[in-house]
Amino acid sequence: MNGESKKILKLTFILFLICAVTAGVLGVVNEVTKDRIYMQKNAKTIEAYSAVLASERYEELTFDKDAFPTVDVVSKASNGEGWVVQTTFSGAQGSITMVAGVDNDYKCTGISIIEHSETSGLGANAASTAEVGVNFRAQFIGQGEDIALAGAGGSIEALTGATITSEAVTKATATSIAVVKSLG
Amino acid sequence: MNIKKQFREGLITNNPVLVQQIGMCATMAITTTLFNGVGMGLSVLIILTCCNVVVSAIRKIIPDEIRLAIFVVVIAGFVTIVDLLLQAFIPALSAALGVFIPLIVVNCIIIGRAEAFCQKNTVSASFFDGIFQGLGYTCVLICMCVFRELIGSGRFGGGLIDIANGFRFTLDGTGGGIQLFPSEYGASIMNLPFGGFITLGLLIALMQYALKKGEKKRALAERAAAEAEANKEDESC
Amino acid sequence: MLTNILAISLGAILTNNFIFSQFLGICPFLGCSSKVDTATGMGLAVVFVMGLASAICWVIYTYILVPLGLAFLNTLAFILVIASLVQFVEMFLKKSVPSLYSALGIYLPLITTNCAVLGVVLLNVQNNYNFIESVVYGVTGGLGFMLAIVLFASVRERIQFSDYPECFEGFPICLVSAGLVALAFMGFSGMKIF
Repeated sequence: MNGESKKILKLTFILFLICAVTAGVLGVVNEVTKDRIYMQKNAKTIEAYSAVLASERYEELTFDKDAFPTVDVVSKASNGEGWVVQTTFSGAQGSITMVAGVDNDYKCTGISIIEHSETSGLGANAASTAEVGVNFRAQFIGQGEDIALAGAGGSIEALTGATITSEAVTKATATSIAVVKSLG
Repeated sequence: MNIKKQFREGLITNNPVLVQQIGMCATMAITTTLFNGVGMGLSVLIILTCCNVVVSAIRKIIPDEIRLAIFVVVIAGFVTIVDLLLQAFIPALSAALGVFIPLIVVNCIIIGRAEAFCQKNTVSASFFDGIFQGLGYTCVLICMCVFRELIGSGRFGGGLIDIANGFRFTLDGTGGGIQLFPSEYGASIMNLPFGGFITLGLLIALMQYALKKGEKKRALAERAAAEAEANKEDESC
Repeated sequence: MLTNILAISLGAILTNNFIFSQFLGICPFLGCSSKVDTATGMGLAVVFVMGLASAICWVIYTYILVPLGLAFLNTLAFILVIASLVQFVEMFLKKSVPSLYSALGIYLPLITTNCAVLGVVLLNVQNNYNFIESVVYGVTGGLGFMLAIVLFASVRERIQFSDYPECFEGFPICLVSAGLVALAFMGFSGMKIF
């Protein structure tokens, strides 16, 4: 073995060693934080579920995924008050994950946004806990499948400067009601 | 290297964003609320300080040919650690900053400091360099956030300060901030990419103006001193 | 499927342009945009690397990291893949396509630290894109980057002859003009395909 390849081997070994140490440290950190991250993510979903339709338990139902590609989960509230539908769809900047509650008359009981990457101060207001966000989401309560923005003949006032986000959320609410109706 | 000089360099004369003009992507992208700005700034500060210390500690044992690859691995390691910790303990911040936390890996500030400073300096000097450069970065972010938030939505400290039930700091990003004027009157364009470009442009221009003025003053003082010296020589003749 | 791909491409090139809407890749955008020729070279190199990186990182993420439960190592893995990919592409081009190498060669090493490249692979994972969608997003994201940098280079060639305050010399005037171009790109934001 000549000097050149010996040197390359040595360099590779050092690089490999550093990578291995880093990966090991990351593994430990991941092990420590894993459960907490999982809990945090779940806590948000559970909170969103009970915010739109309070119930003790939710039973997952099967639905036609091909007909409703944006729908992730349809669950029936165990107290018989209605259903909760989780949808993921594209907003103005990236994908939005949202849950909508649907009651036995096929009316929306409220919406809650779990994850989004909309523009702060505009589209992000749809999920904010400030007055503007609360008012925006309150409009959805009691709406039926024909829900639409005020500009398109409905009664939902879009957020200022965030028509695309508002329209996407409105459309997802209509889809949520439609998927529940399709189950009968 | 004394600490005072490093402090001045990090915050003013060699500020990472305003003078070295690196690490601008995140600077413009996330500075829409004070919560994001402070969170991002502190994350970079922590990662930068840790990387600086590690790089300067191992600077004598790493071969020169693969030093960049090693820097990148070390940086990516720390970034992932901070990313995981944020996801676990401050999920609101991790959600707000999104892809810009992992992108700290390619933020030129960190690899630039590793290459330019920590390779040649002791662990303690690198530690302070990390802190002061990180502080300089955080200050710029805070300036941009305050300006953009105020003009854009008439608010101060969105996400970080809550005054609804007494003054308090919120770590979950739910604080409404202090509303200085109704948000309808704000120029919401400042929240959009346009606002980011313009604000950073103005801030760097201001910095260049200040630095140039300082330089001129110093040049004037030097000339006056030289003239006084010359006069003295004249008299002595 | 087709509409989906069309929507992704249009979003990546115009509505969600990497530079003007997502702020990814600002450093090379400002660094390499003083002349239209260099901007075109840089843009082409980015399209090439972003497409390749999207494909390779998708395969590595889906078939290696996820099955082994190592998804948390994605940032580390992606940056190493990108760095070695850039090195490899450089060597390959130098040996087999010298003409292309002479056009793109000097830009390639700069791409490793281009956050648009790491950004696109991370966004592919975040948006749960499949293989085809990832590659399309990578290539069209690169095209969007190229469009932005070439357009801006021609704006910058004119800035040279204009009169602006002295303290705006260098980056500030570029940032302000980039802001105005970003304003123009906002016009696309109402566009969508469903």
